[in-house]
Order: sequence, then C-alpha cells, then structure tokens
Amino acid sequence: MRMLEVRGVSHRFGGLIAVDDASFEVGQGEIVGLIGPNGAGKTTLFNLISGALRVQDGSIRFKEEDITELRPDQISRRGLARTFQTSKLFDGMTVFDNVRLALIYGNPERRFKYEEAEREVNQLIATMGILSDRNKPVRELPLASRRYLEIARALATDAEMLLLDEAMAGLTTAELQQVMQRITQLRDRGVTILIIEHVMEAILGVCDRIIVFHFGQKIAEGVPADIAADPTVRSVYLGDDT
Amino acid sequence: MLISTILSEEKPALVAIPVTIAAFAIAPSTLPESIGISLITVLMYTILALSWTMFSGPTGYISLATAGLFGVGVYTTAFLRDSLPLEAVVLLGGAAAFVVALTIGLLTLRIKGVYFILFTFGVAALMRTSVQWWETHINGTVGRHVTAATNETVYLLLLIIFAATLVAAFLLRHASPGLALLGIGENEDAAEHVGVNVTRLKVLTFAASSVLMGMTGAVMATRFRYIDPSIAFNPLISFLPVLMAILGGVSKLYGPMIGAAILVALQEFLITEYPYVYLLIFGLTLVVVVLWLPGGLVELAQKGYFRLKIQWIKLRMRLTRFRRTRQAKRR
Repeated sequence: MRMLEVRGVSHRFGGLIAVDDASFEVGQGEIVGLIGPNGAGKTTLFNLISGALRVQDGSIRFKEEDITELRPDQISRRGLARTFQTSKLFDGMTVFDNVRLALIYGNPERRFKYEEAEREVNQLIATMGILSDRNKPVRELPLASRRYLEIARALATDAEMLLLDEAMAGLTTAELQQVMQRITQLRDRGVTILIIEHVMEAILGVCDRIIVFHFGQKIAEGVPADIAADPTVRSVYLGDDT
Repeated sequence: MLISTILSEEKPALVAIPVTIAAFAIAPSTLPESIGISLITVLMYTILALSWTMFSGPTGYISLATAGLFGVGVYTTAFLRDSLPLEAVVLLGGAAAFVVALTIGLLTLRIKGVYFILFTFGVAALMRTSVQWWETHINGTVGRHVTAATNETVYLLLLIIFAATLVAAFLLRHASPGLALLGIGENEDAAEHVGVNVTRLKVLTFAASSVLMGMTGAVMATRFRYIDPSIAFNPLISFLPVLMAILGGVSKLYGPMIGAAILVALQEFLITEYPYVYLLIFGLTLVVVVLWLPGGLVELAQKGYFRLKIQWIKLRMRLTRFRRTRQAKRR
C-alpha cells in the first residue's frame, strides 16, 4: 500500500526555488532515505509534508488522503509524525511529560486521559532505551538521549509513518549502530520511515531505497547499491569526480 | 480517576485550597477593620493575578490586556446595575469579557513575544479611548454613577469568584490542556507537531481566564460608585497582576497570591506614607524583581530551603566526624 505520495511539489522562498517539482512515493513498511548536499531542499520538503510550510504547488497524499492543505496538528493526528534537525523538545519538562503530551494529543481517538498514560509512556521510552531518564528534565539529557526522545515523542502520536530529520547527526559510531538498529526494529513493527541523513554508512545500511536531491530537484532514486555507484550522485554528493 | 490521582499526588494542595478560601471567608470578621477594608483590594488583585497566570504563566505570552477585560466588566455593571440583579450583571460582565477576549485572541493568532505584549497593551488603550469617545460624543457624559453595593456583598461575590479561579487554575494544571499550554511555552512548533491545536487552545484559555477578569470588574464597579474610562481601564490594572505574578512566581499557584498580598500591602503603605513617590518606589520594585528574582519568591524560598538543608547536612557530618575523632582519642 502507498503511505505517502508527493506529486509535483514546488516551493520558493522569494527568488530561490527550494523544492522544484518533486515527486516520489513511499510504500508501507519501507525505509526510504532522502539525501543531498546542504541546501538541496530536504528539510523544506519535510516542512511541506508535515504542514509547517504551506504547499505552493503540487499535492501531498497520506494513506490516500489529500493532506496538502492541512495544519501540522491535523497531519500529526492522522498518523504522520516527524522529528527535527535541531531538536525541538520541551526542554523545561521531563522526558515523561514530553512523551505524555504527544500520547494524549497525537491521536485523540485513543482517548488517553492525563493520568492514564503512564504505562504507554514507559513502554515508549523503554523502546528507545531511555527509561532511566524518565523523570529528568530534558535540558539535562546528553545528545544521544535527546535524539531517542525525539523519536519516542514522534512515535507517541500513534504514528504510522515517521519523518526523521538527521536523527543521527553528531552521534558516535557506537551510538549510530544503536540508532540504526532501533530504526530497523521500528520498521519491523510496521512503521514506515522517511529519513534525511548525512551519515552515509548509516543511510546505505538501513534504507530499502534512496532518493537523491540536488538544488531542489530529484536527480536519482534507487536501491542503496545503485545509488552508491551512480556517477551523477557521486559527483554532486559524494564529492568523487573519478 | 482525576480525583484519585490528585488525591495521591497533590495532598497538600487539597488541604491548602479549602483552607485558603476559608481563611479569606473568616478574615473580615476576625481582622481589624482597617485591614478588612483592604482585603477587598487584595482579593481583587489575587483573582486578577491568578487568572492572568492561567494563560500567561505556562505559555509565556505576557498579556497586558487585563485592564481592558476588567473594564468591560466595569461598564457592563454601569449600564445594567439598576435593571438586573447584581449576580446576573456579574455573569454578564464575564460573558462580555469572554467575547472581547475571543476577538483579541483571534486578532493576535500569529503574534508572538514582544509584539504580543505591545498589541495587548494597545488593545486595552484602544478600548479605553473608544469608550471615552463614545461616552463624550454619543452619550454626552464623562463618567457614570453606579449604585453601590455593601462591602459584605462585594466581598462575598469576590470570594466566590476567587474560589472559582483557584479551583479552575488548579484543575488546569492537572489536566491535559495544562500540559499542552506548558508545551506551547516550551516550543510552540513542537506542540503543534505532536497534535495540539495550538490556536484553539491559546484563544480558548485566554478567553476563559478573561471571564474571571470581567466578573471581577463587574463586582468592583459597585465599589467604585463613580466610574469613567480612566478608572475602568486604568493601565495599572494591566501591569500590577503581571508584577504580582512575577514577584510571587508563576511555577506554583500560591506564587501570584503571595505576590498580590505583598504588593497590595506595599501599595497601601506607600500611598498613605509617601503619596508623591509611591509610583517611583513601585517601579523600582518591578526592576528589582525582574533583574534579581526571575523565578519569584517561590523559587527564592525553594533555593533557600535547599541551601539550609545542605548546611544542615554538612553540620551533621562535621558533628559525627568530631565525635569519632574524640572517641578515637579516648581509646
């Protein structure tokens, strides 16, 4: 089944075309990577899909429903959640409350009451391996735990699909392995994932399919092995001119 | 379920809330009359500071529209005092403030930070001058006489509004919307992306807390007896609750209440003793609070308690060490 369908989406900031006629699809249960040099329009694309920016041109469908005109909160309640490149956590609140807020508001149909969420919250933060940080204020967390919390909070909205914006930036190799493993586990539980990443070993190892952007345009799409071998991709992104 | 959780987590509050209300209820008959009179002012500002904190505390949106919403209540009474029972007038004052606050809320949807502060201040000023213009040009009057109510009636009505405010503020803190408001204050984008309809929540909370301000204005009009736009929409009514809430601290419910009590006492003292420099000293207090007490008295007290505790532990450790060495020497 098709989870996400982006059709002819463009976005300009003044004279700059950040995203230029982008079209692609993501199927259910897939992990798709979105790569490209800085300024290629990847995060703008995430902002358009998640509703943070209004779509100027084209259309976006999620689970066969047109979500082009919806607000971020409406999109999130439909099961499409995201994380942020520069983490946007509720820094003054505890890890527990960060996740609890998403759990209560992410899908009102589950009707979680303020005081009932405990078991579910514990489960979610345990899945991400940060149960021991449960009652800490978020501003005291180390970087890796912040990344996990971003994912846990997005999942808490009852997400069927996650948009991960550089969830692995700044992590050590060991932490990287762990995040990749947890992302794969999420997929095995049926969550569809679209991921922006600069760490090439991560993206090549974890993705089923990779889409390459350059100056707002899609320049390639395929399985990791093909993408890694593609001469155009190598020249614009991997900086290899052989 | 909510009740049972609150019972287990918030035992002190469940005692403190009824005790506070009861204390205000018996205060006029037990305190000397000179203090009893200023209790009305204390109660009025406590309600304003608490209801201001309901919206502005968690979200960090500093509203200076309080005088406008209070003034709407005052004028509701000025127009309707002699044609309806006072209780009905007070409820209508709250309803009128709700409608005005909804309008302000819908106009300020996309405004944040200092722009929001300025806008709300401007709205209150605009309301004041509009009413002034309307009264002088259309009605041919400057002010209006309001049939007075007895001190007991005023106090009782304020007490009921205060009880409602305290309970509402407490429940808001222990329910999902309260958590979502905190989330908006921490990071509005993120709150929106986890499914909070931030616009609706902000506007509704702002309007709901304004009901309490409007009702308070409606009651106070009967005490002012004579009102005009500069009394009803006095800018100090916008500033003082903010100052009180910041002085006391917005992280706990009793913060704004303590702040209101202290500042009203200070104000009464300064007005009688130093009438010419009272606003000057008052302004200095604001500067001191903002510069050195950003968390308010609540945080100061918590820090002080924490330090005392550390000193106490250190003292006990020293004592044990001292005893041990003495014992060792004896041997």
